Amino acid sequence: MNTVIIDGLSFALPLFIMAIGGIYSEKSGVTNLALEGLQGFGAFTGALAAVLVAGNFAGNSSVPFYIAMLFAVIGGTVFSLIHALLCIRFRANMVISGVVINILAMALTSFLTKQINAAVFGAASDKFVLGVSNRITVPGISAIPVLGAVFTNVYPFEIVIVIVAVIAWFVMYKTKFGLHLRACGDNPHAVDAAGIEVGRVRLAAVMVSGALSGLGGICFAYSISANFSNAIYVGYGYLAIAALIFGNWKILPTLGACLLFGFARSGGYRIVQLLAMPSSYQDLVMILPYALTLFLLIFFSKHNRSPRALGVIYDKGAR
Amino acid sequence: MSEYEYIVEMRHITKRFPGIVANDDVTVRIRKGEIFALLGENGAGKSTLMSMLFGMYEPDEGEIWIRGEKVKITSPNHATRLNIGMVHQHFKLVSNYTIAENIIMGMEPVKKALGIFPMVDIKKANRDIRELSVRYGLEVEPEDVIENINVSTQQRVEILKMLYREAEILIFDEPTAVLTPQEIEFLLDIIRGLREDGKTIILITHKLEEIKQVADRCAILNRGKLIDVLDVATTSTRKMANLMVGREVNFQTGKKDAEFGEVVLDVQNLTVKNRDHFEVVKNVSFQVHAGEIFAIAGVSGNGQVEIADAIAGLAKASGGKIVLNGKDITQDSIRERSLQGISYIPEDRQNVGLVMDFSLSENLGLKNYHREPFSHRGILNKKEFDDYADRLIGEYDIRSSQGSRTVVRSMSGGNQQKAIIAREIEQENPLMIFVQPTRGLDIGAIENIHRQMIGERDKGRAVLLISLELDEIMNCADTIGVIYNGQIQKIADAKTLTTNEVGEFMMGVRQHG
Repeated sequence: MNTVIIDGLSFALPLFIMAIGGIYSEKSGVTNLALEGLQGFGAFTGALAAVLVAGNFAGNSSVPFYIAMLFAVIGGTVFSLIHALLCIRFRANMVISGVVINILAMALTSFLTKQINAAVFGAASDKFVLGVSNRITVPGISAIPVLGAVFTNVYPFEIVIVIVAVIAWFVMYKTKFGLHLRACGDNPHAVDAAGIEVGRVRLAAVMVSGALSGLGGICFAYSISANFSNAIYVGYGYLAIAALIFGNWKILPTLGACLLFGFARSGGYRIVQLLAMPSSYQDLVMILPYALTLFLLIFFSKHNRSPRALGVIYDKGAR
Repeated sequence: MSEYEYIVEMRHITKRFPGIVANDDVTVRIRKGEIFALLGENGAGKSTLMSMLFGMYEPDEGEIWIRGEKVKITSPNHATRLNIGMVHQHFKLVSNYTIAENIIMGMEPVKKALGIFPMVDIKKANRDIRELSVRYGLEVEPEDVIENINVSTQQRVEILKMLYREAEILIFDEPTAVLTPQEIEFLLDIIRGLREDGKTIILITHKLEEIKQVADRCAILNRGKLIDVLDVATTSTRKMANLMVGREVNFQTGKKDAEFGEVVLDVQNLTVKNRDHFEVVKNVSFQVHAGEIFAIAGVSGNGQVEIADAIAGLAKASGGKIVLNGKDITQDSIRERSLQGISYIPEDRQNVGLVMDFSLSENLGLKNYHREPFSHRGILNKKEFDDYADRLIGEYDIRSSQGSRTVVRSMSGGNQQKAIIAREIEQENPLMIFVQPTRGLDIGAIENIHRQMIGERDKGRAVLLISLELDEIMNCADTIGVIYNGQIQKIADAKTLTTNEVGEFMMGVRQHG
């Protein structure tokens, strides 16, 4: 039971922070299918920063990990500017832009990883090996049955994610910027009439989605494989989009969807273990969140409402 | 403060758009505290002129003076700083926000959460908006969400938005187009109240009645040129109308008494649900006879369009029966219904009525393409389309730049509508459904469409007219059914009802009587 909760959370939280990024972008009216590519590119820059500085720190130091996070956020943000530029400035089709960014990120990062490995480290490898992140167990509370698992073997990034998520929630629902952002996704003309630049708000929203996706990406890199490689592109970005759709573009319900995906995955692994199935059945478990997505779509697509101006390029003149 | 005689002066304003001069050397001077009307047909340049005052466009030539000072208004923000506010014809409201959130957006009161994090002070906003609304007699509930309130309340929100920004010069762009007669009365009272309060009001409209009721002075525009500025009190409505159109106007559509024939359309207990499974049409029954214009009157969004869609087959009936010439068509497809005798002129002519990027000739053939001689064994015969189109273009006076080859998107709204009407009339169907047939068209085009509609009636067709324009209904209908909240409130001979009575039923004030 405890492993199900521990592993479920460490999967659900990075997914959640990416989904929040997606909510920011989509609530401002910019369709963002690029989460997958943004998390990959963010993870790449973060991992690159970590391997470059790793030599300067002791093997068990956690400083490279925080540096990786910082650079993942920067990398994701910078990469998201492509999407912002195409969708806002050049009025490109948002869906196509998003998909192309995903393909671009995958090709670009695997190329660069190999080149940098060869040029800088003189090794022919297609991955950056990251250190294993330490884990924290809160003494006392972790002893509580069941609930204690939440505080056991926690990755430090989970704490960072929770803090960032709380801030993101506050900004989205309580501040001026959040008010403007959500309005842009419903009726950008009203925002414009109120004297606020729609393009600027949307730019900021897309950058937030890049930053948060980058953060999610590096967390996956640390928690799942402890390295950066092409294996980062297995559809978590799309899963985050599914989560935010199930969450009806609202942050708290989206957390619920992410937890569901996380526990479905960790629960599946547990079942494979308990039944002592051959390890190849673990691959079957990998499809669980996706199968669940398809199943849930049947129920949610009817009732959930996307932002009214989602995917509509803002044109001042049109009414 | 009083060094200036006029609060707004627009001198020799010229504004050109590609292919059109929207304003040609127009000069208007507006005094502080008056209600100044701008009268003109669609495309006369009223909205363009005011858009320049509100900073949405800049004039190509001419000067704008505000309070005796020459200004260059570069953006709506700049206009707001000059205390100019505008209620646009299409409201600019965020539908899932509360009234207060909409009003404060861009000028939010802020407080510090935990002493450091700046956040929107929504409690103060609600308080401020409630005070403001009481002060101007525009009572609204600040915490109501826009999508749950009616059009006239939404309009009040737009007015409050201006007042919250301390506007002194208030521009109203066609404010009564969406309102019932009673709501119009109420709005005009509000406008008078604002004048009492020292505000200057500019009213853009093509409705003479309103001008006569509230305006002090009135500028008349025609095709971008200023025709005259008149004192409203001493000018007759007829004179204003003639100046506006540039010729003698017929106010009444001449119309013979109706001769009803057999029942063509029989709608029995029709119920329609929208995509949220909410009943928007509830148990509606009525009959339309051959040679009758049956009009459904109602405020926008009360289910009238859904009735038309259900009859034409665009929406599914969740209950009840639709009978055409004695045959139950409730389960038939759109094509089957059309072939059995329904012509449909939809509300949304650009999305439902036409394929905008097809040529005129293709659009005119949309109802026939699958039949001989337009196609033979699945292959279209282009010549047949073109000949047919040329005939219709001549008969219905459809004007376009390249005849039948013109892409429909490039045509004017009036000519697009003529094309749809030509196509639908040519089907010679026993039932014709007109939904908002004159929306956005100018007086000349409206007269023409009314004549055609009545002509079809006189040929013995059954006509179902759905319109938000009460004048249109009073002018054309033989029988009026009033809908409110998805239910028919009243069905009566048009001659026995007054405009005001219909208005009351439209708002659900009067019950079945």
